[in-house]
Amino acid sequence: MLKVDNLTKQYGDFTAVDGACFEAGDGKVFGLLGPNGAGKSTAINCISGLLAPTSGHISVSGFDIVRDGKKAKATLGVVPQELALYEDLPALDNLNYWGKAYGLRGAELDARVREVLDYIGLADRAKDLPKEFSGGMKRRLNFGCGIVHKPKVLLLDEPTVGVDPQSRARLFEMVEAERDAGACILYTTHYMEEAERLCDSLAIIDHGKIIAHGSVDQLKAQVGARDVLQLSGRFPDGLAATIADRGIADLDVLTDESNVLTLTMTTASHHLPAIFEAITAAGGSVSETSLRSPNLETLFLLLTGKELRE
Amino acid sequence: MDFIVATFRKDLTRWREDAHALIIWLAIPFLIGGLITAMAGGSGGSGPSGTLLIDDRDDTLISGFVAGAFAQDQIGDMLTVQNVGAEEGKQLIDAGEASGLLTIPEGFQDAFINDTPVVLTLKTNPAQTILPGIIENVTEVLLDAGFYLQALFGEEIAAIQGVDDEAGPSNAFVSSMSVQVNDKMQALGPALFPLAFDIEIVEPPPAEPRPDIGLLFLPGIVMMALLFSSQGLSADFWKERETGTLRRLVSSPGLLNQFVFGKALAATLVIAGISGITLAVGFLYHGIAWSKFLPSMLWLIFAGAGFFAWFAALQMLFPTQKAANLLSTIFLFPLMMMGGSFFPLAALPDWLASVGRMSPNGFVVDKLTDELVSANAWSFDIRSWTIVAAIMLSGLLLCSWRLKSGFARR
Repeated sequence: MLKVDNLTKQYGDFTAVDGACFEAGDGKVFGLLGPNGAGKSTAINCISGLLAPTSGHISVSGFDIVRDGKKAKATLGVVPQELALYEDLPALDNLNYWGKAYGLRGAELDARVREVLDYIGLADRAKDLPKEFSGGMKRRLNFGCGIVHKPKVLLLDEPTVGVDPQSRARLFEMVEAERDAGACILYTTHYMEEAERLCDSLAIIDHGKIIAHGSVDQLKAQVGARDVLQLSGRFPDGLAATIADRGIADLDVLTDESNVLTLTMTTASHHLPAIFEAITAAGGSVSETSLRSPNLETLFLLLTGKELRE
Repeated sequence: MDFIVATFRKDLTRWREDAHALIIWLAIPFLIGGLITAMAGGSGGSGPSGTLLIDDRDDTLISGFVAGAFAQDQIGDMLTVQNVGAEEGKQLIDAGEASGLLTIPEGFQDAFINDTPVVLTLKTNPAQTILPGIIENVTEVLLDAGFYLQALFGEEIAAIQGVDDEAGPSNAFVSSMSVQVNDKMQALGPALFPLAFDIEIVEPPPAEPRPDIGLLFLPGIVMMALLFSSQGLSADFWKERETGTLRRLVSSPGLLNQFVFGKALAATLVIAGISGITLAVGFLYHGIAWSKFLPSMLWLIFAGAGFFAWFAALQMLFPTQKAANLLSTIFLFPLMMMGGSFFPLAALPDWLASVGRMSPNGFVVDKLTDELVSANAWSFDIRSWTIVAAIMLSGLLLCSWRLKSGFARR
């Protein structure tokens, strides 16, 4: 169980995380979505005890991470965004060492290390050095080091960055297996398809603030059945108002700039001829058209007016 | 405690993979030590030697005495006397293949016996300094001796003039001459060797044998091995930070102190191995009593742990790994120069030696030198042990503090 209550982290005048609140239950995957620099890693660092929060409370398995850090950390597993491995220590010894760091000993440790090596698909490379591994293998070992002590709460900070499709699929399976084993998982990513596949609930964070929060279905419902139409080209001033005058139902203008126009409406494809006609009549031109069905990515666009990966 | 052992084993396994660094830390002091020992002539090196060319144009008994004088005793150990002709002598000395060319002119014996002026020509090699000076001095002494001999035994010398150079002196002539010389010595004895007072010879107390210069270099060379390895190993904290393992460690349940002690233990073992090998080679080379090996090693182990911890703490104060490496290396070399690693403290000017002894490595070197040259083992006093233990503990505590105060979290 992970509970984050009004978490704020400031660096001087800059607020990296601003009053974040969310809760993740056992056997669930909670996603924290946001573009690069949104505050996801700062939040993870506060939850893992690397950074002291400026204000707010974080409870890990019922223990406050600041006041009762040792007990909280004992139940916590972290898979950092950057690899955190001893590249000059065999894979087996890496797992052994991190198992010992969490108090595992003797036969229990040996059995668990063997189990994890099988689980991450490195049993036949156990005595090899990670510096000889591929990027995907290193990612899997990085994951293994984070779960070797069977954590109750698992923090995964963008674990699939720079990973090949095959290793990514394997990582997804491992995350799902941990969830099925009862772990509470906090998963940060800026890939919407990952969040849609893995997360039971999620929060969207931007500029340090949680701007949407709920289950995947609840958030999708916020987008409704509306499509997002994004046009690039040359657009005269007041074009958005001209299009709105065409009487298109549920039309909303998300961005209205000289070279980008983002609109949302139901069944956008039916209205394309009328929209192009209005643009031409107003003296504008279209160089690129993008029409997207409702999903979390479009929700992010609706909420922030910008792409998730910007 | 378990995590100390786990960290100790983990680091030893990792560092074993980096055998090149270990070899370099060992090789540099051996290389420098070898050069220094060679420059100092080792502990049993031979003295200077050279060749004296003699162009004996007189070729008589007296001129033979002069040539023979250069082949006697210690002069003879340093000089090889080679008789040459005028042309050969000139060529050899001009080619710089001899230390000097002494020309004894024809008529030298007659001039000596008749007490008339004569000129001996000595041409020395300007490329050499020591041996030509010695030859010059010996020649002057010979001439002075010749003057006194002439004054005292002029008659006897004149008699020698009549000796047939081919057949040599007869037995009767030699015995007659010996009796005359002896009578004269008896007569002149009181004047030449006046017994003005009794002399009681008091033997000074036996001085401690002065250690050879190579031995004085040994503690500094061992210290060099220790400093190189401790500085190199201390960079491992930065390496751990760059690989992200320190951050992972901070997310684990509070083991930073054990981590520091485990790493320091592993580092100490490696440092002890490297400095121990250097020390053992020094013991073998200089024939030092092995009873001093254990106290010397313990001293180095304490010092090694202390230097590792202080170097690590120092490196962790810098904002980047590059700056940490660069500045700690810059710091290392003056420390070694001042602290007796390049020159023994005894060879430094007094004021610099005093400063050097106050530096941490100078202190360790000074006490180790005392142990190696002392008559008995275990010369370290309790104050010295306390100081070196305090250096070690303060360094380890500083390391722990620095890790907790933010270094590990970045």
